[in-house]
Amino acid sequence: MAVAITDALPAKRRSKSAEMKRYGFFPGCVAKESCTELFNSTMLLADKLGIELVELTAASCCGASVLNDVNRDVARVLNARTYAQAEALGLDDVITICSTCTGHMRAANKELLEEENRLTDTNAILGKFGASYKGTVSVRHLLWMLIDDIGLDALSKMVVNPLQGLKVAPFYGCHIIRPESVNGWESARNPHSLEDLITALGGEPVDYAGKTRCCGFHVQLEKDGIAANMVGQNMRMAKDNGAEAVLTPCPLCHLALDGYQADSVARWGRTDLPTFHLPQLVALALGVDATKLGLKRHVISPGPVLQAHDLAPMHVA
Amino acid sequence: MSKITLDLFRYDEAVDEEPRRERIDIDFPETSTVLDALEYAKAEVDGSISFRRSCRSAICGSCSMNINGVTGLACKTPIRTVLREDRSVKVDPMPNFEPMKDMVVHMDPFWDKYARLKPYLQPADRDEDHERERRVSPEDMKKLVAVANCVMCATCYALCPVVSVDPSFAGPAAIAYAYRFIEDTRDGQQPERVANINSDYLWLCAHCYACSYCPKHVDPHDRIIDTKRRTVQLGQTDAAGPRHALVVAKTIKQTGMLAENDVIVGTVGRFNIRGLIKIAPLGLRMAAKGKIPPLIMHPVPKVDEIRTIFETMEVPVA
Repeated sequence: MAVAITDALPAKRRSKSAEMKRYGFFPGCVAKESCTELFNSTMLLADKLGIELVELTAASCCGASVLNDVNRDVARVLNARTYAQAEALGLDDVITICSTCTGHMRAANKELLEEENRLTDTNAILGKFGASYKGTVSVRHLLWMLIDDIGLDALSKMVVNPLQGLKVAPFYGCHIIRPESVNGWESARNPHSLEDLITALGGEPVDYAGKTRCCGFHVQLEKDGIAANMVGQNMRMAKDNGAEAVLTPCPLCHLALDGYQADSVARWGRTDLPTFHLPQLVALALGVDATKLGLKRHVISPGPVLQAHDLAPMHVA
Repeated sequence: MSKITLDLFRYDEAVDEEPRRERIDIDFPETSTVLDALEYAKAEVDGSISFRRSCRSAICGSCSMNINGVTGLACKTPIRTVLREDRSVKVDPMPNFEPMKDMVVHMDPFWDKYARLKPYLQPADRDEDHERERRVSPEDMKKLVAVANCVMCATCYALCPVVSVDPSFAGPAAIAYAYRFIEDTRDGQQPERVANINSDYLWLCAHCYACSYCPKHVDPHDRIIDTKRRTVQLGQTDAAGPRHALVVAKTIKQTGMLAENDVIVGTVGRFNIRGLIKIAPLGLRMAAKGKIPPLIMHPVPKVDEIRTIFETMEVPVA
């Protein structure tokens, strides 16, 4: 919802990577495992935008918000190793396509750069295999890079397949906005980057209270029905406010929203909202061949809404 | 002074079947707080408007309510930061509670969960010497300071998405308070307290950081992670939550990656046939679309470096 005065946000700097149009790329585990359609559509979008994403192939998992539960320090050191790989390639931005990667890699970087002795202690461990992190890397989500480095005006001018008023519910989820002390790119309470992006692509953003709530992914195995209920609650709100589809910057949210709507019917009714990965919808609007976006790999097919809005033929999804 | 509309939730459980909304227009400085505006409306417009408040200074924790969809202390929320385009502020009672009258809610479930954790020190030697002073080093006290700032306003509980779908979850404040006693060097009940909060679904925290909106910077989410780590350290790991954390650590150490298949099976339990059958429908739905993680994970290049990090830091793995 719009407010008269938004929180003041820190000024955004232009990175060396942005100048070179050459970024470090950290796809994260899920985009390399169950959601390969996210990885592929990201690479296709990068091609379309004329930027180079240099995958950090030797990087480890970011810790996925779970590693902290067994050891408070190991994720920080693992991520420092990843940043050192980007530095060695002369890159000062690491682009992520997962909210959990974004939040936890940024938290690690913040500790490394702001807490006393962290960098020195970490480098003592990295030194065992000849690596060292100087502290020059920023972790940024693809969404932020699109808006800050490409720009919404430029993006909207590149649109060749406008979304024809498709009613899209943005689903921010958690780790790309919270905690604000770690992310801080936009207000966690009143984010609007996804809405702005949807509008720039020719779609119509849907407002609903569930957009900044949790998808339940991280507790899906802890107790029966929890994630399905969290998904159902949020998708009910989206559907009741007119959404035809959902857009999320996070593959974990995608897995939960796409996978669990079928399990939430008993309590929340049928919602059946197809859930797009961020780069899928941007790439589609920018004219990337829809058959290459992995739309057939969604549990809830986006085919019907894409066909209804004349965005892609049914058979692509 | 400027024109402001309070868009209020009105309900009295004693007489109303359904809640209704009421819009009250007032002339009021927008540099004041939402609580000031409510007090003014109650004094000048309608004395029946009900809400809890006492200190007006973010110390007593009474006036937590939902303001434009986000819960927080009304006394700590300037009107100008939440004024909507139509110059209104939408005020509702805290979610996750049964409303009693307007913004006043039944707090019982919150207090019950707090009482369950026995929120008082239980020293191991309490029967021996009642008069002795029990000292804590400044270093040990540091860990407890953040939670000591908790005013039990229940903002975190109202914001918690897990509580909203499963009220058996203890909620952020109760876990933070459990941590405050678990980590107190004067207390003698650490393993019992850890087992107690563990059975109140400590591991059901969804890592959503909604409780990072805590008005007193208690940061319950960090205390929840600290408490989970203590359960692992004490070996209380026979549950899906700790199994999940330990198998994630194991697959990252082995391959550099979080291996999705191994994590799912390792969390549910390889021999937990009933548990595996329960998750099968989702697995089949995904498999039908080709959404299957690789069955064999190849380690990332230089995985030895990752194993060196795990070994140097003595990370527990499954």
